[in-house]
Amino acid sequence: MSSHGHRTIRMFNVLHISCLEDVHTSVSWAAERPLLSVHIFTPEIRNVAGRKYLSLWREITGSTLVTMSKRRSLTEAQCVSLAQKLLRERLCHQKLPDRPLALDSQYKHLLELLRRTAVHGESNSVLIVGPRGSGKTMLLGCVLRELMSLKEAQKNVLLVELNGLLQTDDKIALKEITRQLHLENVVGDKVFGSFAENLAFLLEALKKGDKSSSRPVVFVLDEFDLFAHHKNQTLLYNLLDVSQSAQTPVAVLGLTCRLDVLELLEKRVKSRFSHRQIHLFSSLSFAQYVDAVRSQLSLPPDFPDPKFSDAWNHSVTKLCEEKSVEEILRRHFNSSKDFRSLHSLLFLSVSRVSVSHSTLHEADLLEASRLISADSKAIILHGLSILELCLIIAMKHLNDTYDGEPFNFQMVHNEFKKFIQRKSHSIHKFEKPVVMKAFEHLLQLELVRPVDSGVCKVQREYQLMRLMLEHGQVMEALQRYPQCPTDVKQWALSAFA
Amino acid sequence: MSRYITRLRMRRTYKWNGRPVGEDRKLKRQYYESMSISVEGKTEDATVSLGQYILIEGDDDDNPFVAQLLKLYTDGKKKTAVLQWFVRMCEVPQNKRKLLGRDPHPQEIFFYQDRSCDNEVDGETILGAVQVGISRDILFVKLLWDTKSFRALDPELMQPPQSPKSPPPSSRGPQTRALPTPDPSVMKRAMSGILTRGSMSTGKMSSSEAESLHSASKLSAAKALSAKRRSQAVSGPQVRKKLDLCSECHTAPATPRTPRHATPSIPSRTAPARKPGNVLEEARARLHVSSVPESLPCREQEFQDIYNFVESKVIDGTGGCMYISGVPGTGKTATVHEVIRSLQQSAEQDEIPHFRFIEINGMKMTDPHQAYVQILQKLTDQKATPDHAAALLEKRFSAPAPKKETVVLLVDELDLLWTRKQNVMYNLFDWPTRRNARLVVLTIANTMDLPERIMINRVASRLGLTRMSFQPYTFKQLQQIITSRLNRVKAFEEDALQLVSRKVAALSGDARRCLDICRRATEICEHSGSQKNSSGLVGMSHVMEALDEMFSSSYISAIRCASVQEQLFLRAVIAEFRRLGLEEATFQQVFVQHQALCRVEGLQPANVSEGLTVCQRLGSCRLLLLEGSRLDLFLRIRLNVSQDDVLYALKAD
Repeated sequence: MSSHGHRTIRMFNVLHISCLEDVHTSVSWAAERPLLSVHIFTPEIRNVAGRKYLSLWREITGSTLVTMSKRRSLTEAQCVSLAQKLLRERLCHQKLPDRPLALDSQYKHLLELLRRTAVHGESNSVLIVGPRGSGKTMLLGCVLRELMSLKEAQKNVLLVELNGLLQTDDKIALKEITRQLHLENVVGDKVFGSFAENLAFLLEALKKGDKSSSRPVVFVLDEFDLFAHHKNQTLLYNLLDVSQSAQTPVAVLGLTCRLDVLELLEKRVKSRFSHRQIHLFSSLSFAQYVDAVRSQLSLPPDFPDPKFSDAWNHSVTKLCEEKSVEEILRRHFNSSKDFRSLHSLLFLSVSRVSVSHSTLHEADLLEASRLISADSKAIILHGLSILELCLIIAMKHLNDTYDGEPFNFQMVHNEFKKFIQRKSHSIHKFEKPVVMKAFEHLLQLELVRPVDSGVCKVQREYQLMRLMLEHGQVMEALQRYPQCPTDVKQWALSAFA
Repeated sequence: MSRYITRLRMRRTYKWNGRPVGEDRKLKRQYYESMSISVEGKTEDATVSLGQYILIEGDDDDNPFVAQLLKLYTDGKKKTAVLQWFVRMCEVPQNKRKLLGRDPHPQEIFFYQDRSCDNEVDGETILGAVQVGISRDILFVKLLWDTKSFRALDPELMQPPQSPKSPPPSSRGPQTRALPTPDPSVMKRAMSGILTRGSMSTGKMSSSEAESLHSASKLSAAKALSAKRRSQAVSGPQVRKKLDLCSECHTAPATPRTPRHATPSIPSRTAPARKPGNVLEEARARLHVSSVPESLPCREQEFQDIYNFVESKVIDGTGGCMYISGVPGTGKTATVHEVIRSLQQSAEQDEIPHFRFIEINGMKMTDPHQAYVQILQKLTDQKATPDHAAALLEKRFSAPAPKKETVVLLVDELDLLWTRKQNVMYNLFDWPTRRNARLVVLTIANTMDLPERIMINRVASRLGLTRMSFQPYTFKQLQQIITSRLNRVKAFEEDALQLVSRKVAALSGDARRCLDICRRATEICEHSGSQKNSSGLVGMSHVMEALDEMFSSSYISAIRCASVQEQLFLRAVIAEFRRLGLEEATFQQVFVQHQALCRVEGLQPANVSEGLTVCQRLGSCRLLLLEGSRLDLFLRIRLNVSQDDVLYALKAD
């Protein structure tokens, strides 16, 4: 809401002041321009400004101070920044959506399961499996939010969250569990005792509990497959064993993107797992996908300025119906159906909205899509010198001649020399060390890679290399290369040109 | 309780005082009246004489045995002492302690009356004399323990038998009673002096405090300990208790202090868990693997075999090993627990001697050597390092102790106790063979041929040939298990049960799986029940759905739900495999195919970055196996699904 620094909308001539330093600068600034009104947001600034500069302002501009206290109609600039903030929050996953998109049955299943653990003290274990970006964590977040809104669960459920990328072995994981449960061997943030003692302590604690009287514990294991790589799978065995015996009620939730996760479990660990799996595969059709885009971009009905939000929503609806936008979305939909990649596309386009450009345009989406789907190596190729480009072409020819066999610098240099001898109008005759330097630059950019980096005995010129570029990439880069000499282009097309 | 006290073994020398007072020609024994014990490094000798109360070296150095000396004799080679035993509360079997009806005083000991008990010990195990009386400041005797009940002690029993040729010694139990009680603090000091000299630590009362001194192993700390003990003795247990309470309610300390008395527990909930409301919930609760069934059906034979084995060992007071194998979920651990439960019941009713049951699990420890620590802790409540624990256990199981009860040790997941030298396994199987060990070891593992496969000969040989294997359940047994668990709660149709059990029996015979499927089926039934007006029972369709969820492969549906580019990429992989005639291709090769396929499908060909993203996404689901992701274009790709499956999944839509 608060836009730092002063910002003007030229057509309205309104001055926004939101922090104290602005007040001083704004006075001189305002003196030069005719203003209609001045907006001061924070009360203390208003006081200071009021006392100090009110008369001054009046003298200079003849405008009056407009306070923000009661009227809620926002200026357009505020609307834009507010709308942007809302959308960014949504697209950057800072806020959970009200309801997970297209995952109703999974949502119900998981909620029911956790509710039974919380209320009846029934132990359970479940795996949530879905490709990356399919909304596993979001689903779990929504379910836990709903679960914690139940009064019965709120006071009882203990939550332990682990991540396979953070807790890389059982020792760290155990400390983390103990810390999050606030067991008695924890003081402050420190967990006392050795690994063996911690394990014994935790197991003893869990064993002492029983179904009806102890608080149920929900274990969330993110990146579940990584826990299966721990030594002996001790942690998994013990958690799942607790979930299958009359001890403290626990719910073990694993999140993973690996479909073959059950095969990673040892057979006695596997036997203790309940084999419940919740799969998150999106079966969205394109129409639903476009609908999702529309709803993701729309402003909520409780937006402070209804006029602005109506206009915005209307423009979004119209945008989604446009042919070219549909094409962009179709392309994205074809490449991946998950929402995370969609969100990054929308985020880039929303970021382009500004006061002077207050609605989303087709061009914004186009630009964002171009940025997202750009080929990273093609961009690097655009920055190369002509000599380096020539070397790449030479390598391409070597690849064609020797059918992808690795080459060395000497071969590349020979190929390049042959080209220079044939056509030397536009290219200098470079000395060999210069060419070597260019080659090494390509090596640094990893456009060329040594076949096996371990061999150091071979002289640099004869070390075997591979080109890390596709045929198409080279050709496309040449087409787009600014002021590329024609003979180089021709050489690229045919080795004997 | 943790005790890290490394004991300095003090060498004692034992000498007879005076001349023999009697002689038994037939047995070639010479009787003596007293014996002096000189400890290395001490100037004055301790003297024990007949009728005096003495401490005998026990398996737990903190709690030496207490006895009254009745006779001392030698047969020329060995010094032997005949004793009247006294027991501490901690030596009384756990389940009998409540018979006392009150909390025992830490200094209380009981006159031990048991005919079967061996009352002759090696004279060189005597540690020193101790004061025993009726005053509460020193060890005192009020009751008699005859292994069945506590009874009032007849003062006559405290009289030592008159040795025919010697006058009764002056310091005797009954006479101590007659004497005016000495100043308690003086007595205390004297006693703790004796004890420190004898075993470097007192009874359990002060040792709980002693444990907090980590440096107790150091000699300098030993002084501090005894000073502490003296002050402890003055302040008394009540004061200490109050101090403990203070330290517990101490919140947010400035510097974190090591929690020493942390009790492992999960906080309790505000309201008790809700009870199951309807038939399906009831059924679900009963079907949960954790719910303990009234009896274990289908394992009667195995139960009987294990029962007989353990019972005979307990009755004979001997030791032995047994190896139990079977695939997961066939009721191995449950059966052993059941056996122990019923054996403990009959021990309660005094049909068989008492025994201790200890359980360790290879999966529930961080290192095979922790097995020693856990056994020792469960046996004596002592904490020690693995090496020290091994030494203590070794001593305990090899030393002859007259009043030892049989220990039944269950070692679950035995294969995890494997070490390179196999010394953990070796010890576990070697202890039972000792003459005085009285240890029964039951081991459980999954594979039948574990002894042959991983054990070296001397370990396998000690394990012996008492083996048992649990067969996977047949479908009839599984059905019986579910029926007996449900116990007349009518929630399932008969056919549905049969389907589940047949399916599980065909796949694994794992009872856990069977129960989980049934539980899931009740959930499905509950959800569909609101829509359809059915009988309310779990039927075939629900069970089918549950089976489908659990057993069907998710690859097919994953491929079907993949995006267009991902599907095309899979197709390109197969096309490239066919072209190469190999089951592996590089990304570059597949990418060429992918672009061609894109053109055929009328899509804009993806560029390399996009192609790689698609490939990595398939790799992260493990539809593809990717190797060498550093290699970029030369990433090696293999399929993790059969080609037929991919084609089938792609064809269907």
